[in-house]
Amino acid sequence: MVGSSTRKWELIWPVFFILILHCVAILLFTRGFLLTRTELSSFSHCSDVLHSPCFPHQSEDLSTSSSSSPSINLSMTDRLEVGDRDGRCWTKPAVDRLVIVLLDALRFDFVAPSTFFDEKMPWMDKLQVLQKLASDERSSARIFKAIADPPTTSLQRLKGLTTGGLPTFIDVGNSFGAPAIVEDNLINQLVRNGKRVHMMGDDTWLQLFPNHFEKSYPFPSFNVKDLDTVDNGCIEHLFPSLYRDDWDVLIAHFLGVDHAGHIFGVESTPMIEKLEQYNVILEKVIKELRNQSGPGGLHENTFLLVMGDHGQTLNGDHGGGAVEEVETSLFAMSLKEPPATVPSEFDTSTCKLDSNGKKTCVSSIQQLDFAVTIAALLGVPFPFGSIGRVNPELYALSAGTWNQPTINATNCINWSNLEEWMQTYVNVLCVNSWQVKRYIDEYSASSVIGFPSEDLLRIAGIYAQAQDKWSDIVNNSFLSGKDIQDKRFDTSLCTLRELIDAYSEFLESVAELARSKWTEFDTKMMGVGLGIFLVSLFIHFVFIMRATKLHQVSFPTIGDSRISLRLIFALSMVAIRACSVLSNSYILAEGKVASFLLVTTGIFNLRYSFMNKKMFMEAVVFLLLISILRFTIEIGLSKNAVGTVLLTGGQVALNIIAEIVPILTLILLGYLLYTTIPGNSCWRILSYLLLTGTLISYMLIALHWTLESDMFGKPLVFEGIGRNFAPQLIYAIGFGLLILLVFAQVFMPQKGSINSGEILVIKTVAMLFVWSSTVIILLGRQGPLVSLGSIIGGWCIIRLHNSDLDQNHSSVGALTTNPLPVVQWYLLAVCLFFSTGHWCAFDGLRYGAAFIGFDEFILVRQAVLLTIDTFGVSHILPIFGLPFLVSLQNSRFQNKQVKRILLVKLLQVFLIYGLITAMTTMFTVICVTIQRRHLMVWGLFAPKYVFDVVGLILTDVLICLASLYYFCQIEDDTPQDTVMKK
Amino acid sequence: MSPAKTGKAKIARNGEVVVSFKDAFLVHMVCGLGLAVAFWFAHNVYAVNLVSDPAQTLNLIWVIECPIVVILYSLFRWNPDQCSFLKAAMRGLLGLPAGAILNTFGAVVLGAPVGSQYMKRTVNWSILMSLFTVVPAASVFGTSWKDWHRLFAYSKPTGVLDYMICIPAHGAAIGAWFGAWPMPLDWERPWQEWPICVTYGAVAGYLAGMVVSLGFTVIYGGRQQHVKGD
Repeated sequence: MVGSSTRKWELIWPVFFILILHCVAILLFTRGFLLTRTELSSFSHCSDVLHSPCFPHQSEDLSTSSSSSPSINLSMTDRLEVGDRDGRCWTKPAVDRLVIVLLDALRFDFVAPSTFFDEKMPWMDKLQVLQKLASDERSSARIFKAIADPPTTSLQRLKGLTTGGLPTFIDVGNSFGAPAIVEDNLINQLVRNGKRVHMMGDDTWLQLFPNHFEKSYPFPSFNVKDLDTVDNGCIEHLFPSLYRDDWDVLIAHFLGVDHAGHIFGVESTPMIEKLEQYNVILEKVIKELRNQSGPGGLHENTFLLVMGDHGQTLNGDHGGGAVEEVETSLFAMSLKEPPATVPSEFDTSTCKLDSNGKKTCVSSIQQLDFAVTIAALLGVPFPFGSIGRVNPELYALSAGTWNQPTINATNCINWSNLEEWMQTYVNVLCVNSWQVKRYIDEYSASSVIGFPSEDLLRIAGIYAQAQDKWSDIVNNSFLSGKDIQDKRFDTSLCTLRELIDAYSEFLESVAELARSKWTEFDTKMMGVGLGIFLVSLFIHFVFIMRATKLHQVSFPTIGDSRISLRLIFALSMVAIRACSVLSNSYILAEGKVASFLLVTTGIFNLRYSFMNKKMFMEAVVFLLLISILRFTIEIGLSKNAVGTVLLTGGQVALNIIAEIVPILTLILLGYLLYTTIPGNSCWRILSYLLLTGTLISYMLIALHWTLESDMFGKPLVFEGIGRNFAPQLIYAIGFGLLILLVFAQVFMPQKGSINSGEILVIKTVAMLFVWSSTVIILLGRQGPLVSLGSIIGGWCIIRLHNSDLDQNHSSVGALTTNPLPVVQWYLLAVCLFFSTGHWCAFDGLRYGAAFIGFDEFILVRQAVLLTIDTFGVSHILPIFGLPFLVSLQNSRFQNKQVKRILLVKLLQVFLIYGLITAMTTMFTVICVTIQRRHLMVWGLFAPKYVFDVVGLILTDVLICLASLYYFCQIEDDTPQDTVMKK
Repeated sequence: MSPAKTGKAKIARNGEVVVSFKDAFLVHMVCGLGLAVAFWFAHNVYAVNLVSDPAQTLNLIWVIECPIVVILYSLFRWNPDQCSFLKAAMRGLLGLPAGAILNTFGAVVLGAPVGSQYMKRTVNWSILMSLFTVVPAASVFGTSWKDWHRLFAYSKPTGVLDYMICIPAHGAAIGAWFGAWPMPLDWERPWQEWPICVTYGAVAGYLAGMVVSLGFTVIYGGRQQHVKGD
């Protein structure tokens, strides 16, 4: 027995070795490529600020300071407390109302004067109204160059803008599929603090914030070719809103520029027309706002932001981290003019004369800082996960940050406006730093992959330093009070500046650390992973060769190693498929590409059968089958693009057909099983069990669907139980049978009379049918049809393959395995994946399938179900079905030698299948490495990468399991061998 | 056009089935010129091209190309004694719809879009493809299954006439297959529509096939040699 198991291991260890290699390679690559971040579910609250060091004497001084005369309170702390009593939260609200006009994909050079660039291009200087305001009213209006962080896709950017964080590709959170933001964010804070938010335009906002807006006018954003629907909708609702007072924050998201870029590119007439249209709109908006900005007017203290969420390249693409994509613009204007401009040392602006000879200044802001700055302006708590800094220039634009409405202002006339502003700003920065520190601490504590500890220590050091300085000043001012006010007057400017610098240093180092952690790829790690992957492919190939050698050792008669046409053909099909993943278009059309290649192999087969004048029917059936698959793939793809399918269908007849056809197919499947299983004698009890189990499962499926359908109106009392009971029972039966099957391997009766090929067939059939019921119920009504399709497809492949085997090699198991049927098998599996309505994106997962039979969500259980649904028909069934390719062809031979050849061939088939999968995945990996700065990397390549990698690992694992299962025969076989030798 | 055709006819009557290089060259030349004239005609007289109106352009092309191909290949019909020119031409014309159905089937299976707006284009395209692939063989061999088998299953042409039929036909099919590649790309070009680039591919493959067949004719000339073509 020991000898036998070593022989078994001798055969199948390469499979395990490859699994391990792939795991290591993928793990390393993924660590470098897929940046992950944990979403924290904590929220900021108004009262939190009491715990901050910015209010050191809060608790004990609250009563005293409030009772004492406010006129003598000059310390910052006290002023904050005064503010607190005014009903404010973390900061004093500086603006009353906010209008955000968001122009999607607004390049920096759309807004900034053309003199800032080397060359004047046709699309520049189109938004004249903004340039004019920025040059005429330098204290209240300003153009910023807003620098976004990749990924520069709208959804990620909106998330980044509102949370003040750096959204990565995988934000590990508790949102299961839905993109709604669960983290703390600006909109959430606004709503919590009683601000009324209205939204119009791009419906992405509603995906992110499903129930935050008091009023929303969403317009569909998916149709890129439609330049005007969203914009016209925005315009229609924007202008009436400007006259109303039922909102505090108004967001209008225009999409025209983004769409024009996607379709026509930046240098095109539609783009320029769009920009000119926007100029008119903005002119009108500003005019309306101005008209009502008088004292007591509706827009007396309104703040206007005209901004982009990301830039775009000249082709109109965005998503990556190229300069053109991350540079967008932000125009800010306060309708109430502030008394002065920001102190020069905080001013990052560069000024140039514009084409009219007027001086225009352009500053720079990180998009990261947006959320916190706006929160500070509106006086709401900063979003918990924000790591931005309150931008001094944007903050200073609002008049509200300058005029202290309390009595202080009148009391200390000798204080310049500037110092007063800096005082305010320092207060804000203190709160800001405290909040960022709190977030970093909590993130490191709760996230599995936190920050490196030495970086955390360094940051804590910087924070402590800044905080020391702060408390020095605060203590001084407390001790001194009014008496040494003159002295403070001398020193304060200087100390304030130091303090601001210290806080800024802290915030900048945090942002830098976060960027390195969340937006930069670890190329070294990726390289190592890729290298190991390449090596694994080579080793894989060596293993296949080794299997061939084993084969020839046991059967030395055949030494034919000529490279046939069909080998080249099969290889080129795999190569084409592998190379196709290098282009985003082919990834989108992956299902079509697979079916195209599959049909090509089918035509190749047809030609062969034409040549040999047999199996003509099979070849044609195969082609017809794929053409049916092809149409289902297209339906799936259109679902991908449009959302939901047509087929609402009022016809009763159609509905009944849709109900009945799957059940009829199910019966057919059951009949198929019935006819295949009892063909043997040795597995009688087992096969009886299997048969009954599977048939009962099928009946349960039929029952489940009948109950679910509304064909019989609202039926049956036990609906509540039946709905979950049937699927659960099916899972249980499937699992039980699987266990039974595995155990049967160990205790299987030895019967020399049955030939090995037949046993293999029976085992395969048993395995497939055990899985089938679970897969079918998860797939829903398409399940039986798809299963039937795959059975027919597989049968055609086997028949066609056998025909040319018989033709070419009359000797037993001649030469190595022909890779063409394996390639076809693989392509068929890929087609099945797409034709069952999946595609390689996270919204391509059929989440509904995870809840068949269960109502509540348990991560592991639902993940397993989802995996079976997603990969069932494209990975699990094809891999367990692979033995058909070798077992059926040799069923007429009986001797022991053949059995060994059979197993070696099976191993070879498994290895080739694995190699094909690995090769495709390899190209996906290469693709994401090359395209890691590509615009579609997060939208397309990364999901594809995740799916491929999961698919590959699953394939490897399944091949390991399958080889353990199918190779059991050796153990049964060897004792007999020895007996016979004796 | 017509003088060339009649001139050819005279030459062809002399030879039995063995075709000289000059004949082969003339046949290919005229077929190629026919295509060029058809394109020119569509562009200048009807002011349409493949991009602006694929269905009509394809229609014009096959209408012009059809008589050329049928007449030329009927001249080289197998067994000219037992089979009149008219019969061969009729076979060719019957082969046209049959080949079109085959081509339509192939295209749809491979992924050509179906739908009422594509119907006209697909029909016209497959008729053109049929002219490239099936019609010459139908004119020459008729229902001789053995020859069809030799040409299209084994792809083993023997002799100049076989080269003339087999290689351009394979060229057109392979060209069309490659021509489908750019279709899914997101370049947003009008020619990526079905069946424009496929037609370009097919025509290019057809022309290349002609050149290759001439090459084979030069190399293996009069000798009836076994050549394995692809």
